[in-house]
Amino acid sequence: MVEGTDGSGKSTQLYLLKRWLEIGGYRLHFTEWNSSPLVKSATRRGKQRRLLTPSTFSLLHAADFADRCERQIMPLLQGDYLVLADRYIYTAFARDGARGCPEKWLRNLYRFAPVPDITFYFRAPLDVAVQRILSGRPKLKYYEAGMDLGLSYDRPESFRLFQARIMDGYDKLVESDNFVVLDGTLPVNKLQRQMREIVASKIDLKRFAPRAAEAE
Amino acid sequence: MPDQQKFQEKEKTTAPVEHPEQVQERLPIVSDDESSKHFFGEPLVGFDPHEITGTLIVIEGMDGSGRSTQISLLQEWLESEGFAVQTSGLRRSTLVGRDIDELLAKNAVTRLTLALMYCTDFFDQLEHRIVPALKSGTIVLADRYIFTLIARSVVRGINRDYLSGLYAMALRPHLTFWLNVRPETAFGREFRKAQAISYWEAGRDMSLSHDLYWSFVRYQTMIKREFEAFAKRHDFLELDGEAPVSTVNKLLRQRIAEQLGIRATKYTPSSALAHLWR
Repeated sequence: MVEGTDGSGKSTQLYLLKRWLEIGGYRLHFTEWNSSPLVKSATRRGKQRRLLTPSTFSLLHAADFADRCERQIMPLLQGDYLVLADRYIYTAFARDGARGCPEKWLRNLYRFAPVPDITFYFRAPLDVAVQRILSGRPKLKYYEAGMDLGLSYDRPESFRLFQARIMDGYDKLVESDNFVVLDGTLPVNKLQRQMREIVASKIDLKRFAPRAAEAE
Repeated sequence: MPDQQKFQEKEKTTAPVEHPEQVQERLPIVSDDESSKHFFGEPLVGFDPHEITGTLIVIEGMDGSGRSTQISLLQEWLESEGFAVQTSGLRRSTLVGRDIDELLAKNAVTRLTLALMYCTDFFDQLEHRIVPALKSGTIVLADRYIFTLIARSVVRGINRDYLSGLYAMALRPHLTFWLNVRPETAFGREFRKAQAISYWEAGRDMSLSHDLYWSFVRYQTMIKREFEAFAKRHDFLELDGEAPVSTVNKLLRQRIAEQLGIRATKYTPSSALAHLWR
């Protein structure tokens, strides 16, 4: 499971980890935050018409996650699969917390989520992360930039302030939720080596190796 | 059924970890004490209950208990008395109302996801319709409220504390009426409406019985038990939903008039609604 702010390099790293495990033939499943078709139309409608409030924003994502959890994550964990998640409930804790949702309410909302075996948190300095996003994107979207918080009328500035709050949120979770903190500014291959070492040491990968029958 | 817990007690069900310093940072607009007067738990984000000048009246009861009939009549009566009235009900939000309809039609959803979709639907209406209406002094008549939503999920095995926590930011109604009827009576009334009983109102997803009648009765009885527990905890005003429409309506009007500080006036429905006045 990886977490990190936008532009921290987490998705690239998780992709490489996935490739490594795939090439090794392990049974695995990859899942992304906010990806279930179930709530896509509602999320799109909410964003287009700017209907979303901190609570409904949070609830809609929780519904999406619950759907993936009940249909994919939990059954696959039961069936001895490795599950790789690009973002997890901590994204909600950090981001919805930055929007003002009470922490206690958020913790309860996601109580059904299985606790990850490893949570990688990619930390990159705010400027680096913000720069990576701004340079790659022509225009920031309304909610992405946290415009609903009314921090600033300037989108890039609002985005920066919003990301800073989110980062504070993550920092508070590092200890309580046992994050493995990695330096998002390291070269990609170095970071990946660290990640693979940690996975190999903490997880009994043999359990997820191809079954004899399948290997034939 | 034992009276498991109160909404307020969910404070005690500890989340895995708490950050006291973080809680300190985001002080709610109102104090804890005051907040529990207006909300079931935490206050709604960015909302000041002092701005409320309207009245929130909830009518709960199972399918076939006469809720919508009574709401139509109450709306007409209140409007004739000069009050602005707005209604709300399940699956009516702009955000996800239609999505839930689709999910139900396709039966393509698991219980937890469905519970969260209903919760989204509820808060969308609360924040975009109910609260603004209450701020402008309007009377909101809610056709069902969080109690139905919690009860439906509890009977499907979702943790009660979890559900209470979800709805902790819901506004406490000024009055909550419960139209209590026997499931057997409700079955007949519902059947007459559409010459059929729907999959969901019979709780058929719960595999209680292959017989439609028994499935309906068992399911609605389970829900009713949850309501009996709520009724004590949340000061429901219980009315006999099997009494004639006009009798139930009179009792509703008396209590509402008292709440609004007006004299309980006589009322007979206009010709448009006369058919309801059986």
